[in-house]
Amino acid sequence: MTAAPEIRRALVVEDDVDIRGLLVQILKREGFEVTEAATAREGLEKARAGADLITLDLNLPDGDGVEVCRAVREFSDAYILMITARTDEIERLTGLETGADDYISKPFSPRELVARINSLFRRQSRQAAVDVANADERQRAAEVQKNLLPRDNLRIQDYELAGRFRPSRSVGGDFYDWYGTPDGLHLTVADAMGKGMGAALIAATVRAIMRSVAPQPSIETAFATAARATEADLEQTSSFVTLFHGRLDAATGVVGYVDAGHGLALHVAADGGVTRLSSAGPPVGAWPDQAWPPGTVSLQPGDSLAIVSDGLLDIYETVDQFTEAVAGVITAASSAEDACAVLLDMADVPEVADDVTVVVLQRLQG
Amino acid sequence: MEFTTQDKGRYTEVSASGRLNMVAAPKLREVINEVVSGGGKRIVVNLADTSFMDSSGLGALIGCLKLARQSGGDLRIAAVQPQVNMVLELTSMHRVLTPHATPEEAFLND
Repeated sequence: MTAAPEIRRALVVEDDVDIRGLLVQILKREGFEVTEAATAREGLEKARAGADLITLDLNLPDGDGVEVCRAVREFSDAYILMITARTDEIERLTGLETGADDYISKPFSPRELVARINSLFRRQSRQAAVDVANADERQRAAEVQKNLLPRDNLRIQDYELAGRFRPSRSVGGDFYDWYGTPDGLHLTVADAMGKGMGAALIAATVRAIMRSVAPQPSIETAFATAARATEADLEQTSSFVTLFHGRLDAATGVVGYVDAGHGLALHVAADGGVTRLSSAGPPVGAWPDQAWPPGTVSLQPGDSLAIVSDGLLDIYETVDQFTEAVAGVITAASSAEDACAVLLDMADVPEVADDVTVVVLQRLQG
Repeated sequence: MEFTTQDKGRYTEVSASGRLNMVAAPKLREVINEVVSGGGKRIVVNLADTSFMDSSGLGALIGCLKLARQSGGDLRIAAVQPQVNMVLELTSMHRVLTPHATPEEAFLND
């Protein structure tokens, strides 16, 4: 739990010296550190220095309290209590988007004022408790999602494999998965539509479905079976998922793959030449009655297969630029792990608002 | 994102201006829903001023296409900008949502 701030700061904006003095006195008694302002200009200036509570007189000599309130709202989350001399004003004010949290009319009793302030801060601390609980839950969800990524250091003679995932929020709709098979390995990279918790739930479902078809020897049949099961789940949420699923035969270096709307798998040859493997059909769940014909790519010693999610694409104007940049990184990198780290770093810029995933499978030089 | 709907006689044109993302996606669905429930059969989404589309935006377009088809109509897209075109091609969705050069051309041949 986060503790309440040690010192609560209040700002009193009021032109009447007597009322200002009274407000200051009451707030100090309630434990606030109080600053005061007699004009709108001075009030705005002092609000910028920071305040947890602002009492704001509606009729200031140099401006309208409503305008001050709106201006303060642009930079401050302080609790704003508007004070007006006219009761009938309150009704008009509550209908306006002033940004104020509460209103009180003059003359007010100190007891009423204290009651209002305490109620404002009670509301605030209750909201803070809810925020903390939500943050806790998000953090736990992030841990669960992290644990769904392959942790085992899959070692295949003559190959190196690395993967990284960074969600844009605490959890994301991207995932990658791999596991060893008698012949080599299976790997999957997917991106569920959207971001955050909803996308993460879909990603977890898709991961489980893809794993369930692992024993099916034909990649085409396996993928079609998984796609049907996924579509049934996605239809309810009107969502879709882009998928790349590949199967490596380690002895020959041949990777059979199916690409459903992903389109960002690259074959980087040892000499730096690069071929983008285009998708064979739409994302799973996007459109009914689709088939995804599989393709194959042959990894020679020194070649790499890189599968990247569209998060990284956001920093490039065209797919060709993206393709060249990724190929350049992979050719220059000392290892698959290194390549992943560099690519993830490149995506660590404000333009990238999406989840980012990178998986690199490299066949080592003989 | 701003949407404007115009009855063009042969079709209804919905112009989308801004970024078609997670925030704008539900609004687009709402706008198209209104056109469809108002009896609009032929809908052209004019994307001339849509500078960016993410997967949620694509999802909304697909949802709107399904909606239009279910009610016996059709939805087509026009004046697609480079980033949106890139998303359509990467996902192979240009086979379903084929871009037309201008809104006028979208329903020209039928």
